[in-house]
Amino acid sequence: MGAFTSGMIQSIVSALLMGMVFALVALGLTIIFGVMNIVNFAHGEFLMVGMYACLLFSTMTGLDTLASLPFAAIVGFLLGVMCYYGLVKYLLRGPMIAQLFGTFGLMLLLRNLALLIFGSEPRIAHHGILVGRSFVIGHGIVLEATKLTAAGFSIILFLTVSWILNHTKVGKALTATALNAEAARYMGIPTERMNALAWGIGGATVTICGALLVNFWPVDPNIGLLFTMIAFATVALGGFGNIKGAFYAGIIIGFLIYIPTFWDTTTMAIGDKALRGIHLFSFKYTFVYLAYFLIMVFRPHGLFGIKE
Amino acid sequence: MEVIRNIFDLSDIPRKDLTVFGIFSLFLLIFPLIPHSSFAMATMIEFLMFSLYGMGWNTIGGYGGQVDLGKAQYAGIGAFTTAVMLIHWNIPFWISAPVGMIFAIIWSFAIGYPLFRMRGHYFAIATIATSLVLLDVFQSWNFVGAAKGLELPLKSMPSLLYLQFRSDTYYYYILLFLFFFGFFYINWFRKSRLGFQLRAIKDNEEVARSLGINVHWCKIKTYAIATSFVAVVGSFHACYNFNIDPEDIMSLDLSILIAMMAMVGGAGSLWGPIIGAAVLIPLKSYLGSWLGGKEGLAGLDLVIYALIIMIIAAFEPRGIWGIVEKARKRGKI
Amino acid sequence: MKSFWKTSLIVCVIASFALVGGIVPTAKAAPKVIKIGVIYPLTGPAAAAGRELRAGAELAAKICNNVMPGIDMPMAKNAGIKALGGAKIKLIFKDHQGNPQLGADLAKQLIKDDHVVGILGCYYSSVTKTVSAVCERYGVPMINGSSTSPALTKRGFKWFWRTTPHDKYFTEDLFKFLVGLTQGKVKGVKPVPKSDLEPIVSACENTEWGSHVSGLIKTMAKKYHFKLAKSILYAAKAPDLSAEVQSLIEPKPGTMLFASYISDAILMVKTLKSMKAHPKIIWGQDAGFEKPEFRSTLKDNIVGVLTRTVFIPSIAKVKKVAGEVNALYKKKTGHDLGGASARSFTGLQAWVAILEKAGSTNPKAIQKAANTIMIPGEYLVVPWKGIKFSTSGDEIGQNVLGSGMIGQYQKDASGNIVLQAVYPFELATAKMIYPFKGF
Repeated sequence: MGAFTSGMIQSIVSALLMGMVFALVALGLTIIFGVMNIVNFAHGEFLMVGMYACLLFSTMTGLDTLASLPFAAIVGFLLGVMCYYGLVKYLLRGPMIAQLFGTFGLMLLLRNLALLIFGSEPRIAHHGILVGRSFVIGHGIVLEATKLTAAGFSIILFLTVSWILNHTKVGKALTATALNAEAARYMGIPTERMNALAWGIGGATVTICGALLVNFWPVDPNIGLLFTMIAFATVALGGFGNIKGAFYAGIIIGFLIYIPTFWDTTTMAIGDKALRGIHLFSFKYTFVYLAYFLIMVFRPHGLFGIKE
Repeated sequence: MEVIRNIFDLSDIPRKDLTVFGIFSLFLLIFPLIPHSSFAMATMIEFLMFSLYGMGWNTIGGYGGQVDLGKAQYAGIGAFTTAVMLIHWNIPFWISAPVGMIFAIIWSFAIGYPLFRMRGHYFAIATIATSLVLLDVFQSWNFVGAAKGLELPLKSMPSLLYLQFRSDTYYYYILLFLFFFGFFYINWFRKSRLGFQLRAIKDNEEVARSLGINVHWCKIKTYAIATSFVAVVGSFHACYNFNIDPEDIMSLDLSILIAMMAMVGGAGSLWGPIIGAAVLIPLKSYLGSWLGGKEGLAGLDLVIYALIIMIIAAFEPRGIWGIVEKARKRGKI
Repeated sequence: MKSFWKTSLIVCVIASFALVGGIVPTAKAAPKVIKIGVIYPLTGPAAAAGRELRAGAELAAKICNNVMPGIDMPMAKNAGIKALGGAKIKLIFKDHQGNPQLGADLAKQLIKDDHVVGILGCYYSSVTKTVSAVCERYGVPMINGSSTSPALTKRGFKWFWRTTPHDKYFTEDLFKFLVGLTQGKVKGVKPVPKSDLEPIVSACENTEWGSHVSGLIKTMAKKYHFKLAKSILYAAKAPDLSAEVQSLIEPKPGTMLFASYISDAILMVKTLKSMKAHPKIIWGQDAGFEKPEFRSTLKDNIVGVLTRTVFIPSIAKVKKVAGEVNALYKKKTGHDLGGASARSFTGLQAWVAILEKAGSTNPKAIQKAANTIMIPGEYLVVPWKGIKFSTSGDEIGQNVLGSGMIGQYQKDASGNIVLQAVYPFELATAKMIYPFKGF
């Protein structure tokens, strides 16, 4: 197998894994949006909280970072519920612009609280079962254990959440609230509690994702925005509120971030000097921002969305 | 003549507000004569810059209700135009600033057209996205210095033409001139045809459209006005700091700060951005220097900002000015 | 009610400004104290480096202000500055957080409010750039001890002097070292065929400093006829490097070169490990690759990694004064001196020598003293021939007697990871490990 083929396969595999992780980042955002039509600006900051929670837990107990997943989930759930009752409930009464300001303020608050508590030095999990492990699956193609695990959890969580929504009573109540909150209220569904639940589940999925991410991605207080943008791009691609769409869209975003690598491998193979001089690595995330912009302009209901 | 009268017409504003503003203007005028530290001067200059930024943002974000979180890209365009023109062709500030403004407006039309097909959150996030794309481009574009940024050459003599002075006082008065210019422009703007159309759009877009207002075009025009304010201050920023790099002038942090001035002070009111800047900038400077310098307290100023914003959003989306007006109404009853 | 709101509004708006206006400049200093403003990144991403830099400058000030018989330096012989009647050095630390804009504001404050005699700083080249421009504008002398962007001394500034050698020297050193490797000059290594070291790949962060280094690597590779397969710039602060690393290892490089600050440096090595990279040589351009955290975090993984540096504790064997200062520093902080702290120390040492020579705090006198000073290498902790600033040519204010070193992380007898010098060849303190054994 030539360098080109193995390079391509490696890129595709890495992009797939990263994509599933990004899908998990976006899952919470799309749940919250689906149920109550509000967008959480502080979504990336929730992820950051999850990352710090995981680090804190594993340093304090001395356990592996994987053991901190339940802890991160609880933190995320509580954070989501608290945000709903402490802030979002009040924002819903005001105009749309108030929701924007409010979650925006939440983003600033979490970001700077993290700065206050942890300082701005990037931190990452240095020890653990997964950290630094990888498997070679032949022809120089490497699978990183950290990403593999995160991608695995992504699939599990997506399946769990869809199952909850489609097959449990609570899930059906949530779906009902999403479809028509007023009607749901008449049917005796406690919509307020359903909203809080959506925030809780949304928070929990994203903090779990954070706890997985911190094995290979350093956390600092400013990290949230990048993930908020990634999550928004993913949700926009998949269609707002569409859970299945978010999963596929996440994978597309993964491939977008690996564009520089694909480009690099291709130009290496072609061997043209001028082309090889162009490196796109500093534009890695630019493609994501651009994707969001373009999709919102041309397909506001998502790549797979049907126009209402 | 009509226009000029409209510009200076403040008759719809309560007398006591004008008195306060009068006293405040007087204070601004004589501030450099009062003994002050250079830190206080720097804070005042920052206050003036951010009230101007805020005034610009307030047109589209306040009167128009379109929350824009990507204003820093225009500050960047202004600043880089001024810097590039000075470095390559030795062109003075007073020419390069309007040119920068024109570039910024062209760019604002180019992206404003698709941008305003979105609303609310989608719009806000999209403005961030465009701003970050431009930031990434500038960081790799060698002509504008890429990540290194540009350093403005120092002139051997202080010069009004190139806006290079040794004392901050001169910068202060130039900004103060721009400040009053901006203030009266906004005063005219809010009573102009566009201003009224914009408020109709903010209240209800469908109704505005049925009244025959070209909603999309109105928004784009206002966006360009907001842009020109920001671009000019960006050009000034380049001369004042004689060094710019994209990470600094085009960062999201700047966009956020710009939006915050009017949000906190009172979006959609004449005084909003000024009050916002008057409260937030000294808070930021002094908290930053008293607390931020001590290890472990960095970020406290922004935590306070964030709390203010959340409280305002939850209880009075019209900001500090909204609180004042509400109280005033209650007082009348 | 009405009047209440009226009053409160006035209070609200005016109060904040009264506060601003009311701050009076701090009182003039007592004549016996010479204030030097020190601007370093004490918080922010480079806080760890900031602590080292601060400790280095503080130690130099302490040696200057007290009689220290055990140290072979002129400034240790008497308390304070002799030529200024024993005036003591007082350092005023400011934290620029890595922000050039903030750095410039702080410099203004130091100059106008604190009335400092001069400025020392700022580590980040980007901040040094803005701060030196402020100093130039106000005619205040500034000494830079640790920023290595070559552009800084190419601007013809009259009030800016740099003690440290810059990246051009360092990058050239690297290529001389590689050439030496092929010629068998390196201690403990037989001549290596050039093709083993090729191709070279480099990854530098996309900042002022990193993009300069990247450019220099390209120039030098051409000059010394090495094949450079790839040189990429990656976005700093965008912290997943697996795509970059994957692209780097694709051409099967013999030599990998990096310019990264600490968090990226750690991540880079970790990613190299998990992506199973196996180059013969890994070399870091100081910064992140030289910090204590790099060593304490990655432990055994970095045995064999090379970094350029300006100070290695083991050179105390060759240089007595370095050992003396290092002992004091270790007592103070628990760490050995590193590249950052040693250069910060040397920067302040240069300040003291210049003030001693000027015999005045007048800027003109300081300028004259700085342009004519010559500090012999024997008084320095760093292995340079001395400090002497160029006053003509295309570089103004650059120390022409500086030189760099290349160190390699090795395991010592007791199992600790230490840095051993492998270049300059005559200063080598250990046999080089070649090739890099892999992760």
